Amino acid sequence: MVVLSLRTAPTRALELAGVTPDRLAQLAQREIAALPVRHGGRAAALGDFFAVKGERAARVRVDGDLRLAEGLGAGMTGGELVVEGHAGRDVGVAMTGGAIEVRGDAGDNAGGAHPGAARGMVGGEIVIRGNAGDDAGARMRRGLVVVTGDAGRGTGRGMIAGTAVVFGAIGPDAGRWTKRGSIVACGPVARPATFRYACTYRPPHVRVLLLYLRERRGLDVVERWITGRYDRYSGDLAELGKGEILQWAGE
Amino acid sequence: MSVLFLTMDKESLPEQLIVRLGQTVLTCPTTACFDGLPAALDRLAVGKALRVFADGFQGSKVIGGRRYWRVPVMEGEFLIEEAFGMQKGVGGGNFLILAEHADAALAAAEAAVLAMTNCPGVILPFPGGVVRSGSKVGSQRYKNMLATTNEAFSPTLRAVAPSALPEGVNSVLEIVLDGTDAPSIEAAMRVGIRAACLGGVRSISAGNYGGKLGPHHFPLRVIMGNAGKPA
Repeated sequence: MVVLSLRTAPTRALELAGVTPDRLAQLAQREIAALPVRHGGRAAALGDFFAVKGERAARVRVDGDLRLAEGLGAGMTGGELVVEGHAGRDVGVAMTGGAIEVRGDAGDNAGGAHPGAARGMVGGEIVIRGNAGDDAGARMRRGLVVVTGDAGRGTGRGMIAGTAVVFGAIGPDAGRWTKRGSIVACGPVARPATFRYACTYRPPHVRVLLLYLRERRGLDVVERWITGRYDRYSGDLAELGKGEILQWAGE
Repeated sequence: MSVLFLTMDKESLPEQLIVRLGQTVLTCPTTACFDGLPAALDRLAVGKALRVFADGFQGSKVIGGRRYWRVPVMEGEFLIEEAFGMQKGVGGGNFLILAEHADAALAAAEAAVLAMTNCPGVILPFPGGVVRSGSKVGSQRYKNMLATTNEAFSPTLRAVAPSALPEGVNSVLEIVLDGTDAPSIEAAMRVGIRAACLGGVRSISAGNYGGKLGPHHFPLRVIMGNAGKPA
C-alpha cells in the first residue's frame, strides 16, 4: 500500500488530478514524491505536501484534511483509493474503474465530469462516508456513487446511466436532464417537476445493491431500506425519460 | 432456492436454460435469478437473451462487477443476472431400495429424499426425487431403445427372467442423483442411504449398468465406509 500523509497543509486549491492508484502502482517512492501537482495554479511536486510511504501498489491511502485538494482519484482506471478525512471538489472525476472511499465529506462534482465534457465517470465506485457537495455523479455514464450523508444540488444531473445512492437528504435539481440511470434516495429528495410518478414497489436491484454495500463495502445500511418499498419516478421526461428516482416510501 | 440444471451435452444447455427460466422463473411472482457458479469459466448469456422480453423497456445494472438485467413485468420487476456459469457435472448416481412391499419402499424413498434435500451441489432430477422405473442401458429386443426396463429388479418378472431380487422383496424404488462433482454425490448418497433404512426395507443396492453408464462409479460399500465387509 502507498500512504500519502499530508505534512504541509495547502493554503490554496491543490490540484491532484493524475495522482491515481493505477499510476502509483507503476512508480517508485521517489517518483511518486516527484509527481507534478498544482498549488494555487502554480507548479509543485506531490512530495512538497505529502510524506510518501510505500511504492508500486494500487492500494493508496491519503491522510489529512484535504478539503482544498481537488481531483482526488480523477481519471483513475483501477485500484483502490482511501481518503482518511475530508476531500475537496472533483473526487473521481471521469474515472473509469477502481474504487474510491472518502471517510469524510467530499466537495462538489464527485464522480462528475470535466468542464465541458459530455460524460463524467464511466466506471468504478465512489463511496463518500459523509456529505457530498453539489453535482455528485453529474453526467456519469456508468458506475456507482454512494453518499452516506446528505448530497447537495444537482445530484446525478445529466446522468447518462449508472447509479447514485444517497442515505441522507438530496438537494434540489436531483436528476435534472437525466437520460438513464438511477438515483436511490433513502431520505428526502427535492424532485424536479419533469419526473413523473410510476408506482410504489420493491425494486429487486436496490435490494441487491444495498446488500452489496452492506456486506462487501461494510456500509451501515438500515434493514428497512433493503426490504422497503420505493416510489418510482421516471425522468427526466424533458430528456430520454429512461432514468428514475427511487425514493424510499416505507416498509 | 438454488437450482442445478443438467443436460447430456454442453450445446443443449443454453437453449434449455433460456426456455425453462423464461417459462418458469420469469413468470413466477417475486422471483429474481442469480448465477450460482460465478467462478465457472464457461458463461451462458441467459439474462442477456431473456432481457428482450422487456420489448425495449429493459435496463441493466452493474453491481459488484456483475451485470443484471431489469425486466419490467405486470407484478413489478424481474431481475436476472446477465450470464450464468456452466461446468462439467456428474449425472446418474443412484441407489435402489429393495423392500417387502410398495408402501415400505415409498416411505423409505421419501425419507431418503427429505434427508438429501439440503445436501449441497446435488439434485434429484426426477419428480419427487423417486424413480419407479429404473432402467438398463439398451434393449434386448428393440434396437432403437436407449434404455428399457430393468427386469432383474422387476418383481413381477422374477419367475421368467434372471432376477437380482432377494427373497421377500416385492417392490424396488430408485433414487437418482445428479451433482456438480462426485464427492457431492457421494456425500448425499451416504445421507440418503442411512435415512432409507426403515422397517420393511430388505436391502440397498444400486443399478451398476455393468459399469457402462459413465466414467464415475459409486460403489456403495466404499461410500458407506465399510469396504469389503458384508452389507
